[in-house]
Amino acid sequence: MNKIKKYQVHNQKSAYLFIAPSLIILTIFVFVPLLSSLAISFLNINIFMKDISFAGFANFKKLAGDARVSNATINTLIFTVAEVPVQIGVALLLTMYVAKNNKYTKALRAIYYLPFVCSMTAIGIVWSMMLDPNLGFIPYLLKQIGFETISFLKDPNLALPTVIVVTAWKGFGYTLTLLVAAVLNIPESLYEAANMDGAGEWRKFVNITIPSILPTISFCVVTTTISALQVFDQTYVMTQGGPLNRTETLVQYIYDRGFQTAPYDLGYASAISVYLFTIIAVITFVLRKFVLDKGENANA
Amino acid sequence: MHKKVSIKNIIGILLTLLVVVSVLFPILWLFVSSFKTDAGVITYPPQFFPREWTWKQYQYVNQSIPVLKMLRNTLTFAGLTTLISVSFDAMAGYAFARMHFKGKDILFTIILLTMMVPFQVIMTPLYLEEFKLGLLDSYAGLILPRATSAFGIYMMKSFFQGLPNSLEESGRMDGMSEFRIYRSLMLPLCKPAIVSLGVFHFMNNWNDLLYPLMLTSSAEMRTLSAGLAVLVGNKAIKYGPTLAATMISLIPLLIIYIFCQRYFVEGIATGATKE
Repeated sequence: MNKIKKYQVHNQKSAYLFIAPSLIILTIFVFVPLLSSLAISFLNINIFMKDISFAGFANFKKLAGDARVSNATINTLIFTVAEVPVQIGVALLLTMYVAKNNKYTKALRAIYYLPFVCSMTAIGIVWSMMLDPNLGFIPYLLKQIGFETISFLKDPNLALPTVIVVTAWKGFGYTLTLLVAAVLNIPESLYEAANMDGAGEWRKFVNITIPSILPTISFCVVTTTISALQVFDQTYVMTQGGPLNRTETLVQYIYDRGFQTAPYDLGYASAISVYLFTIIAVITFVLRKFVLDKGENANA
Repeated sequence: MHKKVSIKNIIGILLTLLVVVSVLFPILWLFVSSFKTDAGVITYPPQFFPREWTWKQYQYVNQSIPVLKMLRNTLTFAGLTTLISVSFDAMAGYAFARMHFKGKDILFTIILLTMMVPFQVIMTPLYLEEFKLGLLDSYAGLILPRATSAFGIYMMKSFFQGLPNSLEESGRMDGMSEFRIYRSLMLPLCKPAIVSLGVFHFMNNWNDLLYPLMLTSSAEMRTLSAGLAVLVGNKAIKYGPTLAATMISLIPLLIIYIFCQRYFVEGIATGATKE
């Protein structure tokens, strides 16, 4: 008895040593910043950190009246509402065809995943050049088949849709990989029963495949939505928020106010971050309640 | 019936191939265009393949873009971060999976909650903190905040939970220390999980933009993705060197992808089951 107790005490001590490095790092670089972010949003503070003073709700009042905040909010929401269904829809459609294991489908899946491995910077650079109205290959090809010269990224009405398509192009392979893994996990017996009933391919897809992978689809909807709300890289590289701020997203505006444009107002940037966090938290909560739970119930 | 199936197959083949073309076209275009001359890049009408192939863009790219420095920075940042983070994640994951200690459940829950915090929320305070600590614009400042991850701890914990008890008991009988049991008995069994997590960390850090963009300011410390984004954004460089530098920024990851493809997929599949 005594020996076991002694062992457990020893075991406890070493356990703390095992988790210490991670815990220290998370405390310094996640918990402390997380707690201070709210505090900073109530301060007048810029990047030079002189003349720091208490601002009360001034930053939030400014936010409420800032047309660029509402513009960025709308852009971010449009981006999310359009990008998530495109990315998941394309992935789901292709899953129908590649969710089996043979050489051909494995090669297809390996190729589809390729854009996800590449950095958004590289992809943004390549697409910007290919879409350039003067030199780009794609406007040239479209012109050959009779279209006007299109400036995809400089036309205020086309810039955001173009960024959405490029984002879905980069991300669908990721969603596809998750969906295929889920489909391959469906027990064969379910399909055998349907075969006995003489069900066609489409009916099997709708009645067996979709319900079985619904939890994974819900998971993809939630995670893709959260990352879409944080969109930054693609607009930073391809449009810099332009033309006419039509692709400026919330994260980009935060970065711009805090780190890119004088007076580098960190207090205000932090206030917009808190605002964005609230939006993400609310949307995540709603999605979890209605999408994730539904997905799980369907499987139960 | 038979005819119907074959029509469906044809649509499937056409659709899947169309997507293959749309995926490969830009990547292939980048690859071949990086071998064009300066004139070849901006010629109109644009040519897909170079009229004359040249290594010039690669030979002289470093004169217009500090690509070697950026490559070295990215390798140091992504490489060291991966090594350190995988070590710490595995150790913490092991303790949460196989050891008993006070506060275990509450600590693990708190760690999981950090996964839900978007980076933008802690970005400004992190910047201020690194300024106070004198870490801005340094390797330490880039690596330390990423030296562990909630996701990695979670992933390693799930993996260690699946291992049999008998092993560590035999280690204890032999009087091995807890760390030796972990290091020489348990850890070698997790090679696939370690590699998956390593690939995951390496890819994320290699490709990350906002994080290195914010924490570095000098050209000396820029990573490939941040440095290229800034240079291209400022329209400071010509097309030819940009194409070569972009290609250079992709090659290391593409090579790893070709050789470790299954680990890329396993890493994200674990992520999907975390709910």
